Amino acid sequence: MFLRVVAVGAMLLVAAVAAGPAPGPANGQAPAMFRTPLNGEPPTLDPYFAVDSASAPIVFLMYNTLVSLDSTGRLLPQGAKSWDVSPNGLIYTFHLRDDMYFHSGRKVTAADWKWSFERMGSPALRSTVGSVVVAGIQGYDAYQNGASGIAGITAPNPTTLQITLNPARRGGFLNRLAYYAAVVVDKDAVQRGGNGWFATQDAGSGPFVFKEWAHNDHLTLASFPRYYAGAPRIAGVSVPIVTESQTQLSEYLANQLDFIQVPLGDYQRISADPTLGKQLLTYPRAQVLFLGLNPRVYTAFKDARVRRAFAMAIDKVKISKTVFFGFFTPANSIVPPGIPGFYTGYKGLPYDPAGARKLLDEAGVSGKLPTLSIAMNPFTPVSQMMAEPVAAMLKQNLGVDVQLQKTEFSNFIANENKRTVYQSFMTGWSADYLDYSDYLDFLLYSTSPLNRQSYESADFDKLVDQANAAPNDAQRIAIYHKAEALAVTDAPMVPILFSQFAYLKKPYVQGLQTTPAVNGWLPFSGVRIVK
Amino acid sequence: MARYVVYRVGMAVPLFLGAALLIFVAGHLAPGDPVQTVLGDHYTPAAGAVLRHQLGLDRPLPVQFARYLGDLARLNLGTSYVNPGLRVADLVGHALPISLRLAGLAVALAAVVGVLLGVGAATARRTILDSLIQVGVVLGLSLPSFVTAAVLVYLFALRWPLLPVAGWGAPANYVLPVAVLAISPVAFIARIARASVGQALLEDYVRTARSKGLRASRVLFRHVLRNAALPVVTTIGLAFGNAIVGAFVVEVVFNIPGIARVAINAILQRDYTVLQATVLVYTALFSLVNLMVDVSYAYLNPRIRY
Repeated sequence: MFLRVVAVGAMLLVAAVAAGPAPGPANGQAPAMFRTPLNGEPPTLDPYFAVDSASAPIVFLMYNTLVSLDSTGRLLPQGAKSWDVSPNGLIYTFHLRDDMYFHSGRKVTAADWKWSFERMGSPALRSTVGSVVVAGIQGYDAYQNGASGIAGITAPNPTTLQITLNPARRGGFLNRLAYYAAVVVDKDAVQRGGNGWFATQDAGSGPFVFKEWAHNDHLTLASFPRYYAGAPRIAGVSVPIVTESQTQLSEYLANQLDFIQVPLGDYQRISADPTLGKQLLTYPRAQVLFLGLNPRVYTAFKDARVRRAFAMAIDKVKISKTVFFGFFTPANSIVPPGIPGFYTGYKGLPYDPAGARKLLDEAGVSGKLPTLSIAMNPFTPVSQMMAEPVAAMLKQNLGVDVQLQKTEFSNFIANENKRTVYQSFMTGWSADYLDYSDYLDFLLYSTSPLNRQSYESADFDKLVDQANAAPNDAQRIAIYHKAEALAVTDAPMVPILFSQFAYLKKPYVQGLQTTPAVNGWLPFSGVRIVK
Repeated sequence: MARYVVYRVGMAVPLFLGAALLIFVAGHLAPGDPVQTVLGDHYTPAAGAVLRHQLGLDRPLPVQFARYLGDLARLNLGTSYVNPGLRVADLVGHALPISLRLAGLAVALAAVVGVLLGVGAATARRTILDSLIQVGVVLGLSLPSFVTAAVLVYLFALRWPLLPVAGWGAPANYVLPVAVLAISPVAFIARIARASVGQALLEDYVRTARSKGLRASRVLFRHVLRNAALPVVTTIGLAFGNAIVGAFVVEVVFNIPGIARVAINAILQRDYTVLQATVLVYTALFSLVNLMVDVSYAYLNPRIRY
């Protein structure tokens, strides 16, 4: 009988192996596929909702915007060949390419852009992308209140798109158009597909076409031969979903992946490795890592002097050098380098423990402050790596006890949004689109849903309003610098570090272009695999 | 026997209802919110309200639970909250066979190797072979799977690139995950088999068989193993549960798109519908394995009657 058990076990073993592989990608893809992983399953591939770190990169490869960015952050024509701006700066006339095709084979026309932008801003859809990209267009508010379309968008002929801006909200319009989610979509594909249309097809005109999405396993994109800038030089992009960064690294080392983000904990080892060090790409990322101070829960923060004291008690240079081996740099301002108009030379608040203690004395809270808890965003280990030295510095320099609060992401984000839970929080903000408004308007404007510090400053709001109504970029940036300096001194948030990207790229991958925004790379249309 | 099986299957219904209720309540009581997790940094109260309404999350909990049970009765597991284009049944239907194959292989391997090692150790008691097997058993039981996984990947995928690091699809993809999942059950089964065979070897009927002049192998296979089988079969059932739970580590480390990965994602994103479905699947699996173990007792030992 015992033997029988053993024999049945052995037979099961043989049968299961003989049953062969489950459906999925074979190992060792065709050589011309470019292989790079995603960190998680994309929740959606509808470009107007694909704004998380798993969905955005895929949408980025399949769709086109009207204007795009090159690797230095300079604006480039994409769907539009060129554009004219009226003397008052309010009317933009875009001359569209007539050689851009949807993946269905249909030509992209001005009417498609109009339909797409109206879908993006539709009050029924409620996409946050719409509120960034088209909210500054004349007629947007009426559209929200029942008008049939956005009056400020017209398509006089198939290759001309005219957009009239609302003078009060004109700021950064071209930068907003370069937001990776501000894309043109194929009306036919969206309407034909109904709810969840993006699960089996795309509606784009970008360099790569949706081919397969095996949930929790992989996505496959094929190159689009009729891409306006020429067919990509790779067969496509193979995107396995690999949630563990260590697994990604091992797969890269075993030549199963061509391009991966480096786990921060392995950065030093990799940069010192004679072979891997040469495959390492590092460059600035438009991301600020900061400590948000919430006066609604920690009432001492209602006094700007207390907030400023906390900011001045944190030695950013030391954190940068000792914890992040100089790879992440100290942040004097809120808006990081890489954003057009970066406040070069701005010194921000100094590290000055004596001055900080003096401020607490003036505020009358010296020695009386209760324990502060810092909630840490668990999305990356970086928040904890910053929070630990900050806790020590606040204790040493101000005598404030600090408790670190660790939770998982779902809980963290819900509590952050409630604004009545966390006394302070360590987190970061990366650019969706390269513009000052992506930081100051979103993070600190009093009525912004993302103002989780509950910062309320009439002066700051007024400056942001003025910036948005400024007639030209030079004036706009000058006003934003004033707003930024005000926010840094007022210290509703303490910018601590600017981060960098670190990627590993196989030597046979050529023509890859990087960017400080989004995931750090531009669509792989120019990538070649030269083995 | 048939009546017993029907009774046990019938008992599964209240078990499922209880599991469904527990996970529903636990999921909704846990802090965190699927709507805000999905929208992330792009959450606004207005956009959140629209999504909450679309998902039916703005209704009272009893109403949501009743609707869920109604759907369940019609075998409709609903769609994912996080990715509304995705039917939960499809998600589970794709992921479950992968995990089952993985667990089945691991248990089969563990049964074969574990029994051989256990019997070997029992028949060679107090020899070097026995000691070596004992040391291996202690190691196998004490090393956590994330450690053995890392060591095996380092050795067999990176140091000597014989096998893929991770991924799923090709036969070579099975080797390391199955080995990792099997290590602890091998040790467990070997230990029980050694004890149980060792015990049987001391019985009077074994002495009788030997004194009748039977060959040692015949004594072992005919008399000892048959009587030592019951505890081992129980252990193999437990090993299956072990392999299912172990998949939570193995599927993540080896990037295998199985049911454990689906469950982990659902937990982290508060994707209630998917979470509930995975818990029900686990409940069904464990009930089924227990039933199979119980039924196999009667088959192995004719004295047992239900």
